[in-house]
Amino acid sequence: MDVLVQILSSGLTLGAMYAVSTIGLALVYGSLNMLNMSHGALLALGGYVCLYAMTALGLPAVLAVPVAMAVCGITGLLIYHLAARPMLASRNFETQIFIATIGLGAVLENVIMRTFGPQPVAQPLNLQGAIVIGSVHIPNQNILIFAVSVLMMVMVALLLNNTRMGRAIRATAQNRDAAQLMGIRIGRVYAQVLAISGALAAVSGIMISSLSGLLPNMGGDPMLKAFIICVVAGLGNVYGAAGVALAMGLLEAVIQYVFGVQYSFAILLLIVIAVLIWRPAGLFGRAQVVRL
Amino acid sequence: MSARTRDILIALALAGLLALVPLFIGTRYIITQMTLFFIWAMVVSQWNLVLGVAGIFSLAQMALFAVGAYATAMLGYYFGIPILLAMPVAGFVTVVVSALIGLACLRLRGPYVALLTLAIAQVIYLVVVNDTECFTNPPSGCMPLFGGVRGFSRFGDLGFRGLLGSKWYIGHYYVGLFLAVLAVVFSIAIIRGPLGLAFQALRDNPGYATSRGISRFKYQLWVFSLSAFFTGLAGAFYAAQFGVVGPIVFSIAMLLFLLSMIVVGGMGTVWGPLLGAAILMLADEGMREFGDWRDIGLGLILALFVILLPRGLMGLMTASHSGLNRQPPKASK
Amino acid sequence: MAHALTLENVASGYGQHLVIRDVSLSIPEGVLAALIGPNGHGKTTLLRTVSGLVPCRAGSISLHGERIDRMRPDEIVAAGIVHVPQGDLLFPEMTVLENLRMGAYLPGAAALERQRLEEVFTLLPKLKERRGQTASTLSGGERRMVGIGRGLMAGGRLLMLDEPSLGLAPIVIDQIYAVIGALRASGRTILIVEENATRIAELADHLYLLDNGRFAWSGTGAELMSRPEILSTYLGG
Repeated sequence: MDVLVQILSSGLTLGAMYAVSTIGLALVYGSLNMLNMSHGALLALGGYVCLYAMTALGLPAVLAVPVAMAVCGITGLLIYHLAARPMLASRNFETQIFIATIGLGAVLENVIMRTFGPQPVAQPLNLQGAIVIGSVHIPNQNILIFAVSVLMMVMVALLLNNTRMGRAIRATAQNRDAAQLMGIRIGRVYAQVLAISGALAAVSGIMISSLSGLLPNMGGDPMLKAFIICVVAGLGNVYGAAGVALAMGLLEAVIQYVFGVQYSFAILLLIVIAVLIWRPAGLFGRAQVVRL
Repeated sequence: MSARTRDILIALALAGLLALVPLFIGTRYIITQMTLFFIWAMVVSQWNLVLGVAGIFSLAQMALFAVGAYATAMLGYYFGIPILLAMPVAGFVTVVVSALIGLACLRLRGPYVALLTLAIAQVIYLVVVNDTECFTNPPSGCMPLFGGVRGFSRFGDLGFRGLLGSKWYIGHYYVGLFLAVLAVVFSIAIIRGPLGLAFQALRDNPGYATSRGISRFKYQLWVFSLSAFFTGLAGAFYAAQFGVVGPIVFSIAMLLFLLSMIVVGGMGTVWGPLLGAAILMLADEGMREFGDWRDIGLGLILALFVILLPRGLMGLMTASHSGLNRQPPKASK
Repeated sequence: MAHALTLENVASGYGQHLVIRDVSLSIPEGVLAALIGPNGHGKTTLLRTVSGLVPCRAGSISLHGERIDRMRPDEIVAAGIVHVPQGDLLFPEMTVLENLRMGAYLPGAAALERQRLEEVFTLLPKLKERRGQTASTLSGGERRMVGIGRGLMAGGRLLMLDEPSLGLAPIVIDQIYAVIGALRASGRTILIVEENATRIAELADHLYLLDNGRFAWSGTGAELMSRPEILSTYLGG
């Protein structure tokens, strides 16, 4: 019983955290077929901006988080205008933007390293204390992470389903030509999606760093996991990505419990490869998928 | 003269010129850097086959390089096998690993391949550095099976120290030159041979090519596996050259450096990646004083070239271009 | 007479390849014009050029005297062009109602959404039944109706229909033609691409025959029917 509570607690925390950064990636891929390899650097940027806002500027957490979201959102916009937009018409857009964002991610990561130093730092936004269920301690920070993640997912769902911007994003993702014929300015949709994705990356980065600390290259592994979740769900499938993220978090918690932390990623990946050999277009295929 | 003969002759002529270099330049630093250039030339000439010719967006190339390097080091360290023998064995080990990765990934679409190969590379890295269990306990301390974070050293060398004494590095220079020529000639044979033609057909007219029995998966698997031999061999020679193999070969900075060579030179061309390797090594030399800025500069170069000059420097020079960035007119509808 | 759509010496295509060369036409207001001609000779590309999905390489395109050839697709829609594309291009994971509402995305149309929806449901009653159904689960004929209905939601000053009867069963084609007839009767300006020349010749005020990216002939339906050699050369009967 205690083991189950323990696994549920850490699995849901992990999964919810993954979901937030994965949704952003899925939105961006769904709208403009862009794999944003600078997402990991955006996660780190969000974490460090929050740190800076709270320590150097002395802002309370409720303000530091929106500041980090704004900074990462603007960075996302810059990535769109400087890198993606000039290449949109290219036949090899997918390959080119992938390579370009690898480069931009390296730039951003090294700028962070030069600004804040290469040594690990603790994320100041961190709740103390824990709730005890049976003999299991569930840290309040985990509960906060889960709550914030759910809040973010609900907000994204509301945005997509109930706003004019959300309708434009969904239409663009489902059929780019048709969206333009409806009068949607898809360039603006692309920019919005990258800004949203950046803001979500900030939240995700703050949450990740509150558990494992801040490092300039902290975003690498979470980004890879987020991408793997996208791949399993079928690239561009936002709701699928959220579901797979939660499942992946639980699975990872189980694997960590059974095999130990150090091999969890390797085993997770083997499972993913098995899934992809079984279903090459992701778990939900592409045809029958319920996307945005 | 066919393009293939021409390119092979150019390669041999260049090799002849490079063979004369140690007779005139005695500086150990320059010779060692040129040896390193040969290693990178091997890697990028093969990665270019995968990326630019076969259109496989693989990011596992540095992991394959690492497999070659680690296999050599481990054969030497654990079994005392002479390095010269261990190197080709490491090449074959790399081919096997590559074929397995290819079987798992190549049926998937482009972006899936990129993500999965990157993830596989990362997993290999994590297995190496997270393994802390002692496999053996030499006097120098605990040694995990894959060397852990410290990696391997003292696994033997090519034996030039006995032969040439303090000039041993000149022996390495010629071995590197020889291997690089083999790799480059192999890449020319692929690009200008039947496999290259098959990929050209698949790019220009996928429907027709498929109906003629050209299977993308089969050809991709061939290129992916065969090119791994020289990639692994490059890793093996890297191990022999430096006498140390550690997890640094997995670093993102190294992947960025080599990927930039291909992009700057021109993906899919015969000479672009080699030109890119030379230019980036020189630029790196120039940036040495600005140590911290190196990775920022590299990242910028990579991004700027893809955005502004996606066909690389070779794209500037040649009009006829058979690579990934070719833009044939779309069929009318 | 005021001209709704005017093309002067228009050329366009994909990459370096020109599909349309030197095409000029002018459609008066309230007229149903049809583009006919063999497959793959640029009819669809012409419509996509007008709506901005394919860039116009040379010449000029004007809507009621306003140049639109340098505008983005969304601006062209706002200027009053409604393009119902070939193959429907519905939003597959949205319901019929959501698809229709997307047609009224622009602010001007959004204000009239309720009223237009009633009009569309009156014209295409089947859609009212299917309003809650996901677009990807519809039949071919129903999809076509949603495509047309979605276009009508935008209002617009020129309606462009690309092969509305393509690949449908004869009975469904009759329904589609009934709708087109009703639209024409309501005084709309329509530019339609149609493979079936004899059928559209009965309905259209003016026909343009597009062959290899150029106009090979133009005239009324009656004139076309009196020229069997055109029918047999270009239209296979």
